[in-house]
Amino acid sequence: MTTAPTVSASGLTLRYGGTAALDDVSLRLREGITGLIGPNGAGKTTLLRVLATAVPADRGAFAVLGHDPGTTAGRQEARRRLGYLPQNPGFHLDFTAFSFVDYVAILKELTDRAARHREVRRVLEAVDLSDVRGKRIKRLSGGMRQRVALAAALLGDPGLLLLDEPTVGLDPEQRMRFRELIAQAGESRTVLLSTHQTEDVAMLCHRVIVMVRGRIHFEGTPAELTARAAGRVWSSAERDPGARAGWRTGLGTFRNVGDPPRGAALLEPTLEDGYLLVLDGEPAEVASL
Amino acid sequence: MRDDKHDGTGWHADADDLGAYVRGELEAPRLWSVDEHLVACAPCRQALAEVGDPLALDAGWERLDAELDAPRPGAFEALLIRFGVADHTARLLAATPVLRASWLGAVLLVLAMTVITVYSAGSPVTFLALAPLLPLAGVAVSYGPAFDATYEMTLVAPLHGFRLLMIRTVAVLAASLALNGLATLALPEYGLRALAWLLPALALTTTGLALTARLGPVLAPVLVSGGWVALLVVADTTTRGTLAPFTAAGQGVAGAVAAVAAVLLLRLRDRFDASPAPSLFPDFAPRSTS
Repeated sequence: MTTAPTVSASGLTLRYGGTAALDDVSLRLREGITGLIGPNGAGKTTLLRVLATAVPADRGAFAVLGHDPGTTAGRQEARRRLGYLPQNPGFHLDFTAFSFVDYVAILKELTDRAARHREVRRVLEAVDLSDVRGKRIKRLSGGMRQRVALAAALLGDPGLLLLDEPTVGLDPEQRMRFRELIAQAGESRTVLLSTHQTEDVAMLCHRVIVMVRGRIHFEGTPAELTARAAGRVWSSAERDPGARAGWRTGLGTFRNVGDPPRGAALLEPTLEDGYLLVLDGEPAEVASL
Repeated sequence: MRDDKHDGTGWHADADDLGAYVRGELEAPRLWSVDEHLVACAPCRQALAEVGDPLALDAGWERLDAELDAPRPGAFEALLIRFGVADHTARLLAATPVLRASWLGAVLLVLAMTVITVYSAGSPVTFLALAPLLPLAGVAVSYGPAFDATYEMTLVAPLHGFRLLMIRTVAVLAASLALNGLATLALPEYGLRALAWLLPALALTTTGLALTARLGPVLAPVLVSGGWVALLVVADTTTRGTLAPFTAAGQGVAGAVAAVAAVLLLRLRDRFDASPAPSLFPDFAPRSTS
């Protein structure tokens, strides 16, 4: 692709006390859905909070649609163009779904009442909540609340959407429903989706970034991540001590990743296998940006 | 054409209003009256169809649809709108955690108990010491990640964080000062002396806010209220008669502190647009891990 990236960041670093939550992170995000996966504490939330302009980085710079959030004016412009769904979105529980989204719309500078209400109805429709818009948020299920928060993030049709683990805590059916909404939202904009589920990445993302301890360990397509495990997954009757990781499958046999012994029964690799190998300290091989 | 007997609202939109309505030029609150009336009155809808050009009329219908869809504002919001507050500002205030009956009730209770104490002790000093702390506390608990559930969303919204803070502060301050004022009225025998809390209240609140920009939303008000209490204790042990902060000179100092803190606050206003300074209390610090 030759279009200008929605987000370009270089050298983002942020320390909390002695630990680097972000350690020299550089990335480019373009239209479509990019998955951001990594174990707990990898710095995913911190990266999203920095890109959302909630917290400034200690070092490094980034631009959102050409605006530099390092300056007051640039930050304002960047904020007008991004939608952010925080990890634990808070709500005013006494507000109805409509009033709450309306409240966020006011924070997003939509002051004309008629135009604002039109936009609120549009985003509630987009997340399929039109029917419950008059219900108080405290009466809505977790999945519905999450959709309210997504609706709020979609206000003003932002060019960049930052979603922090939006499918956590949802039951499988709600998760499927939410994935559809994310897929729709990603059709015409740039989405960065933080998740710890490789399933989310496999189903939704055209790019994937693996973060470990504040650094990017992999950046590429899901197929490329899967390919990292080609010829390096095998099954065995007992746990293979030579494997980097192994787990018992539903068939009772062990699935191992690492360097297979001679004559091992090789298996078709999956995204999980590639992810595990990257996590396990494979040489950082970030695809050229 | 329009028949007064056909509706129960008791009035009809006149031709000028309907003309302005279809042109999209009718202003709130007149606009809302006409919107609401049109829902109830078939003859006026008919009249509207006759004055309007079709394109503008579609816009009018769309607005009417939106109006029918939108929820009625809550009691508090409706009250603010009635007092002339713009509807979007009223919504921002309704989302202020402090402006709730529970908080105002608690403040009222504290004040009532203080007034009783003043009557039994025969001196207004308890009231004068406590009254300045209430607005400070009110403003403190209307801001920051610990008190505003939607803090993270408000933080990254393009609406200037300082502007939101000021809208809330002015409202909380007004409510708080009004309650203090009521309590003052309950102490008529002390005359103007019973108003000596006002300048210290403004000084403490502005200082608290200015320090919030540097120290975060928890430490700053705690330090400021601690400072106020310490000051009173020192004044009490070193002076006889009226405590220093409540003398004419003390009032002058309080006014000056308020003015200096206000200038400082304005200079630091951009700091309210990113996460507050790292807090000493981990509970209120930004999450540092994924």
